[in-house]
Amino acid sequence: MWTRFKRWFHQWGSPKGFYERSQRWGFWLGLAALILIPAGLVWGLLFAPQDYQQGHSFRIIYFHVPAAMLAQSAYVFMAVAGLVVLVWRMKVAEMMLKSAAPIGATFCFLALFTGAVWGKPTWGTWWVWDARLTSMLILLFLYMGVIALYGAIRDRQIAGRAASVLVLVGVINIPIIKYSVEWWNTLHQPATFKLTEKPAMPVEMWAPLALCALGIYACFAYCLLLRTRNEILEREKRTLWVRKLLTKEVESGV
Amino acid sequence: MNAVWQVIRRDVTLAMRSRQEVANPLIFFVLCASLFPLGVSPDADFLRPAAGGILWVSALLATLLSLDSLFRADLEDGALEQLVLTRHPFFVLVLGKVAAHWLLTGLPLILLSPLLGVMLFLPQDVIAVLMLTLLLGTPVLSLVGSVGAALTAGLRGAGVLLSLLVIPLYVPVLIFGTGAVEAAMQGMPYNGQLALMGGILLVSLVTAPFAAAAAVRISLSA
Amino acid sequence: MNPVRKQRLAIIAFVLLGLAGAVALALYALSQNINLFFSPDQVVAGEAPVEQRMRLGGMVVEGSVLRASDSLKVQFDLTDYRGTVTVQYEGILPDLFREGQGIVAMGELNSDRVFQADEVLAKHDEKYMPPEISRALERTSQAAAGEEARPL
Repeated sequence: MWTRFKRWFHQWGSPKGFYERSQRWGFWLGLAALILIPAGLVWGLLFAPQDYQQGHSFRIIYFHVPAAMLAQSAYVFMAVAGLVVLVWRMKVAEMMLKSAAPIGATFCFLALFTGAVWGKPTWGTWWVWDARLTSMLILLFLYMGVIALYGAIRDRQIAGRAASVLVLVGVINIPIIKYSVEWWNTLHQPATFKLTEKPAMPVEMWAPLALCALGIYACFAYCLLLRTRNEILEREKRTLWVRKLLTKEVESGV
Repeated sequence: MNAVWQVIRRDVTLAMRSRQEVANPLIFFVLCASLFPLGVSPDADFLRPAAGGILWVSALLATLLSLDSLFRADLEDGALEQLVLTRHPFFVLVLGKVAAHWLLTGLPLILLSPLLGVMLFLPQDVIAVLMLTLLLGTPVLSLVGSVGAALTAGLRGAGVLLSLLVIPLYVPVLIFGTGAVEAAMQGMPYNGQLALMGGILLVSLVTAPFAAAAAVRISLSA
Repeated sequence: MNPVRKQRLAIIAFVLLGLAGAVALALYALSQNINLFFSPDQVVAGEAPVEQRMRLGGMVVEGSVLRASDSLKVQFDLTDYRGTVTVQYEGILPDLFREGQGIVAMGELNSDRVFQADEVLAKHDEKYMPPEISRALERTSQAAAGEEARPL
């Protein structure tokens, strides 16, 4: 078991191995996202019943909650990648960290934006400075800091390690986001999905939500693979295997 | 311990040779705080409730401005490399540098704050609370800021980038600092906020020096 | 013990001590219950400041909402089942504002202990259900004697 894991880890850990293996995965993840997200959204927006208090405006949940979940998960993913970079100096982890940052930032922004759109009709305001909203805004700033740091440091390896330190320092924000609704009397409602409990809504309401969430995770993984593959080609362009690959593609007329 | 003391003494001595640089953030602090009565309203009804926030934000920005030089000069003349190579664990020496930075900016800011508090019509007992929050909060500003300063030490024109990296991490201290002042103003208990600030101080005390030390090593390898 | 190990141990002890202290302080702070808003109970007890901006949170009392016919003025009572405060507001109320619903109001208490709100925010919970189910639930709960009061 352990030796298999180690082999798997090393295969994915080398840029060449990652590039070769990710192609097929990318296809399936992209396909999953392409099916799950439209299915979940159509089901949720058109067919799921409306809420007894919020009426139709609750339907924004089908995008808001998955985006918010992903924005946090992507940051945790980056923190794990950052740890791997600092401890094992793994090149691929560093490229994945760099690739994940803009995607996470995008979803974080979308979560905040859809939340504002939701907040106006239900709470009566676009924005309140309560703990959940503020900590989510800080998450967006942290993403921007990571992206800016990458932009500022020329040497890619050093940029990757510096960003890893920054991401690890900022990870303190994640539990704050998670528990902000329980520690403080916030306007924002508690978590919709919990791992340990059944969601407090009937199945025809949460099933489309689950589809959307899975779809968005697949979409994230797909974008991540695509961006990382690009990054690999860019950085390894002087190596033999990339040259061979590119000449082969040129010759076959792709 | 002796090594830490030596680092602090060295940094303070060096700073005292160019006093203007020590004074600059303090002058900025006063200027920044006095922009609010001029720019928004000199009315005591506006200033009294806003004073805690104004002073905290000004102190935060002043600290941020002074951070850029924390590692830069030492990196440029090679002193930082020598510090890394000593037999002392490097994070302890970083702690020394941070302590020196706090003595040169945080402490003077605290001492200046009552003066500005009076100018912004803060009641006297609230000024005491404000100083207490700054006493707990400015070390956090120096500690957390040192990570950002270390990450950007080798970069040219890093001032804005440094703010971008560090300000999000400053938000919790700012919230609880101003929260305590506001609670004191309304005559409510503020020990909860102070306890949280103490907690933040302890966490940053035991984590930031390690992160900053790692960041200095990364910057040195450039 | 050799000096390297001793040093490492000291570092670990330093970090653990710091974290333990931080956790203790955080727990103490949580026990102090930092509120983002005052409750009607506190207002009745005189703990809330008068003529100063603050937030007030509570449930809208059933049947207490009075609307002016010629303007957007509204008056209603807020309760936390221990105290009740009258709130006056002029403006458009959010969709979720209704009797029995938790809300947060921004404004100040006047000298008659009436809360003059300039902003009313509705708080909702993480429970979602279709209207038919909610009606069915209401029927069953009305059948059962004594409805359970849901705290904010």
